[in-house]
Amino acid sequence: MSSERKNILTLTLKGPPETTLSLATVPKALLVLKKMIIISCSAYRLAAYFMSPAIRGGVMVTDAQWEKGSIAVLKTGIWFVGEEKQVSIPLNDVAGIELTKRDVQKKQVDVVKTDHLENTDVVTSFVLCPLSTLHVLFNFLKDATKDMDMRGDELDPVSAQVGMLIYSGMDSHAIETMLSVSNKELESIYDKLLKLGLIEVRYIRREVQLTPKGVRFITEAVKLPAE
Amino acid sequence: MGKILIVDDTLFMRTLLKNILFSGGHTIAGEAADGDDAIEKYRELKPDIVTMDVVMPKMNGIDALKGIKALDPNARVIMCTAVGQEQMVKLAIKSGARGYIVKPFQAPKVLDEIKNILES
Repeated sequence: MSSERKNILTLTLKGPPETTLSLATVPKALLVLKKMIIISCSAYRLAAYFMSPAIRGGVMVTDAQWEKGSIAVLKTGIWFVGEEKQVSIPLNDVAGIELTKRDVQKKQVDVVKTDHLENTDVVTSFVLCPLSTLHVLFNFLKDATKDMDMRGDELDPVSAQVGMLIYSGMDSHAIETMLSVSNKELESIYDKLLKLGLIEVRYIRREVQLTPKGVRFITEAVKLPAE
Repeated sequence: MGKILIVDDTLFMRTLLKNILFSGGHTIAGEAADGDDAIEKYRELKPDIVTMDVVMPKMNGIDALKGIKALDPNARVIMCTAVGQEQMVKLAIKSGARGYIVKPFQAPKVLDEIKNILES
């Protein structure tokens, strides 16, 4: 199963002969269809426990629970399928993967931690399953998102701080004030971040000044009306 | 809107939190750079909420949380820590923390958490 375009779902049915079906409809309907197929088809699924979201926007979700279910790994992303909940993480939205340890029932166990973007929220989820499956999942995600890997020394400390402030939702004016950098310096840091593919331009804000006509208009406008 | 005490040993994080909290209409009761100072400022300023870094010099955030809770059992403290130190969560919650923020964080979510805790 794969989505070549947003509105086309391609299904490959095992043969012989192998048959390919393409379904075209609105993306929302395809998402529902995909969910139904994943839930009813066991071929892709790996038994696992998942916790999603565990952290949203940096805030720990206090009532987050481990849910029993399965992970379905597709070319386009991964699905957590539980009885109560289905979570879809498109590979394009995966911002981080880490093989880490977590305290589960007073034991430190290996888990895969994923960070992904959900609209503009950064959401952290955890997957817990047998170690061999965990390594398969981790390696798959690592490989699928290897274009995002960085060495770690590409940014100087100030540029990294700018990145952190953007993450937190600060605008250019706030960043200039907080880090005591000029507009020109900030623009050059933005260029560096753009070049590395770390940011994208949302919109360009203009700084303007009045023309003589504008000065005249404002001067007239503030005059008290003649008695 | 609340009166908030920010506790963090780095000026950068204090300034970031200050900006976020200002943008949400909160007032900053004060700032502290270590656990000892946090307890002293809490006694002096009686803030509505404390945002408390976990790893700090002199006295860490968990001990400072315990110190503040000893002064005021109803104190509302949100712990704030870096990625990878989530194992401190249980200890913090056990010690009376009302919420937990992991760095880096997003402003709207932090403000939602502060609002929820102020209303609880």
